[in-house]
Amino acid sequence: MSEPDLATPFRERAGQALDDRFLQEALTIATTKFITLRREAFDAFPQGEALRDQARAIKEATLQRLDHWLEMLIDNVERRGGHVHYATGADEARRIVLDIARRTGARMAVKSKSMATEEIHLNDALEAAGVTPVETDLGEYIIQLAHERPSHIIAPAIHKTKGQVAELFRRELNRDAAPDPEVLTQIARAELRQKFLQADLGITGANFGVAETGTVVLVTNEGNGRMVTSLPRVHVAVMGVEKVIPSMTDLAVFLAILARSATGQKLSVYTSLVNGPRRGGELEGPEEFHLVLLDNGRIRQIAGPLREALSCLRCGACLNVCPVYRQIGGHAYGYTYPGPIGILLTAMLNGPGSVKDLAHASSLCGACVDACPVRIDIPRMLIELRRELDEQRIAPWPERVVFGAFAWLLQRPALYRLSARLGRLLQRPLARNGRIRRLPLFFGSWTRTRDLPPIAARTFHERWAELEREARR
Amino acid sequence: MSTPVRASLMITCLADVLYPEVGERIVRLLRGLGVTVEFPAGQTCCGLPLFNSGYHAAAADVARRTVKIFDEAGYVVVPSGSCAWMVKHEYPGLLKAPAARAAAARLAARTYELSQFLVRVLGRRRFRSAVAGRLTYHDSCHLLRGLHEAESPRALLTELGGVELVELPGSDECCGFGGSFAVRLPEVSTAILDKKLANVEATGADCVVACDAGCLMQMRGGLSRRGSRVRALHLAEVLGEPA
Amino acid sequence: MTTRAEFLHRIRTEMGRAPGLVPSATAPRPTRPRERLEVLRRELSERWRESLERFAVEFERVGGVLHRVGDAEEVPGVVARIAGERRARSVIAWPGATLGVDVTASLVERGLDALAMPEAEVTPAERARLRAVAAAADVGVTGVDLAVAETGTLIVVSGAGRSRSASLLPSCHVAVFDREALLESLEQVGVALEAWHDGDDPTWRGAAINFITGPSRTADIELTLTRGVHGPREVHAVFVERGLDVRRRV
Repeated sequence: MSEPDLATPFRERAGQALDDRFLQEALTIATTKFITLRREAFDAFPQGEALRDQARAIKEATLQRLDHWLEMLIDNVERRGGHVHYATGADEARRIVLDIARRTGARMAVKSKSMATEEIHLNDALEAAGVTPVETDLGEYIIQLAHERPSHIIAPAIHKTKGQVAELFRRELNRDAAPDPEVLTQIARAELRQKFLQADLGITGANFGVAETGTVVLVTNEGNGRMVTSLPRVHVAVMGVEKVIPSMTDLAVFLAILARSATGQKLSVYTSLVNGPRRGGELEGPEEFHLVLLDNGRIRQIAGPLREALSCLRCGACLNVCPVYRQIGGHAYGYTYPGPIGILLTAMLNGPGSVKDLAHASSLCGACVDACPVRIDIPRMLIELRRELDEQRIAPWPERVVFGAFAWLLQRPALYRLSARLGRLLQRPLARNGRIRRLPLFFGSWTRTRDLPPIAARTFHERWAELEREARR
Repeated sequence: MSTPVRASLMITCLADVLYPEVGERIVRLLRGLGVTVEFPAGQTCCGLPLFNSGYHAAAADVARRTVKIFDEAGYVVVPSGSCAWMVKHEYPGLLKAPAARAAAARLAARTYELSQFLVRVLGRRRFRSAVAGRLTYHDSCHLLRGLHEAESPRALLTELGGVELVELPGSDECCGFGGSFAVRLPEVSTAILDKKLANVEATGADCVVACDAGCLMQMRGGLSRRGSRVRALHLAEVLGEPA
Repeated sequence: MTTRAEFLHRIRTEMGRAPGLVPSATAPRPTRPRERLEVLRRELSERWRESLERFAVEFERVGGVLHRVGDAEEVPGVVARIAGERRARSVIAWPGATLGVDVTASLVERGLDALAMPEAEVTPAERARLRAVAAAADVGVTGVDLAVAETGTLIVVSGAGRSRSASLLPSCHVAVFDREALLESLEQVGVALEAWHDGDDPTWRGAAINFITGPSRTADIELTLTRGVHGPREVHAVFVERGLDVRRRV
């Protein structure tokens, strides 16, 4: 499916996704598989529940002294010969990376998968500055060739078939290949191997930044994270400020639950701990190491309603279990971060107005809380966002009128009961055989696909007197 | 003989207007177990729809008057997990004044969803079945993940004489109702429902049981539209005489 | 441009406004991590056989192949056999001092094109040349600093004579280890990492610590598991029962 753009209303974008039969099948298969793998991993790991609680406590404790841990991280990165930069917004983050590219004369940048660089739309900026960005995570590589955006935090190209990938490779790489994942992967390996060896700049995100040691930690399965941090002359890591953790002991706690939550692995294949630039005697490693600390709306949430979302590990577990994500996939959300956590992160980055529709793209079923390795209460924050939309009068006025009237009625029991009687009168022409199949106005949203029971001939309130008499007999 | 247990029914808006027979059934069921059932006057809605849509000042007003209405009540029994969750989980936080908050906390502590009240308070789990055939059970989200209750309804259904209980694949997955979600994004809501109903039908059950009027409205609406022979029933409708 | 002071000031301002925080704690760290690691190592040396068996199970579960030999001298034979089975010609390896056994001389004798990566700093031109050699090699032989039983993970620290490429660029990675490297759990890895970072780094130590848990893999095309997307397609671990003669352990 081609990506819907933000000019299309969310409900329509979601509708397009529902009509895409291939996408529907891919989503069902992928999310079901991830759910099963995750469940099996935790079933076989009895200490997992306690570690999740501990991980959450570590995130909260870190946040409570965020300035302290960040300063320690900065000092230690600099002690190891790295450079630290501070980006308030996306534009500043882009400018910092471009400056580094320009100063080092970089022509090509290899990137390992990073949501933070997606978030700041770094690739477009690099391209405009004459630096060719190459995504090296296979999924990201595919969607970069297709000029699309990731549809899942950890499986960016789940919306594409092997046939589509083969066609894409034919068109973009001039490589004829059977639609076989094995063959296609080997083509990508050969293509990207050359890029790793040619690139001047390696760009990554950071899964964790360890304050006590000044270490940036990257987790990948393909090994591209290792390539990008070992082969180019310069390594730039872009890290959200909330990714700092105090110590290596804390890191061990997070590693034990991260991959299990994401893919059901005990550990991802590669966990790379990067302690700055190449040291004397080493054959590989960058001459320069830069850490870009990114705010972009995060710092405001330290005291904001979305504070809890600062604990997110970007594992994608909440996407897989979300009934809405499972139906509409990542693109319909329209922003960098999809799924239930994505709604919160979008609001964090772009303000509550950006999610006036998305804030309602949840049945508040709570499956995400159960799946989240650090138990982020996503539904509660979605409700908080809805509250902001109401209080800042961003919610559409007809909605506010309807809810206002409903609230008014709930305070007036006699009128409330009268309204049931009134409804009974109004529904007369509509109810047939004990059900209503069609309703006008916005009620039609229900009856287009579902029947509605008519208001009962006698409500419970109207039956109570009789029930009371029954008791006395 | 000990003093009889006193319980007030919080009927909730959906059950009052759309499913009064559920309320009626609960009253008779509890009376059959020796419970004195009361129905405090002036009840409307618990305010969950307002709360979930972000209208918190209005929800707090509703909470304040509901707390007052049930102040004299013994236990409070609710036929929907979501409304029970609202009272137990959200009322105390919505009310800021210390006295009101304390009253809300007292109400929260006495409030139970029906299956919980039967099993955990009364210790009664054996009933004859009021229906025949094969049953399956859908976990309502708020009951399961809000009140962490998966066992009580299953205990009641497992011990039900004369019927077979089959586990529903994906029983813990949302039915797609979600209050205003169902009309804000009807296509998505229906797609989620379709998956749920396909799972229900695959079990070969004659009847899917739930403990929430919202889920029932959604599932019944879908079953009826597709002309399915499967019925969606409230727990109270399948529990017959105590055994 | 935002300065460090401005950035941290904004964070402190927001921290001051954060209401009603719940008490929370970071994970308790060992106060003397080096001593703690020594004690742990002594305890583990009593039960290394159990650790090895658990490692064997987990390593194979993630797609690794475990070989066991009695003496270090047998290692070149294992490497030669692995190379031979894959019709591989070129091998790069860590030098004897860091690997704990010299494999290259013996491999050259067996007709393979084997090269030991240097231990000392080399010129940029030489680094570029060696990188091309590594990129073209079929097999890379490295040591192992920690082998984690719980997860089947090999942990490799970079540094002088500890080429990163050897475990990354060739399509087949052979890692050589002995009982000294065995740990039971990720939690113990935490202790080791604390100990390694306690005080100044030794000069020979490099900037990267890599955890390797099986061969490189992806499932990005239709969730089909495929090996060797960027890193090695195969990972072999050779356990040397009577130990390796490694000059500097981490």
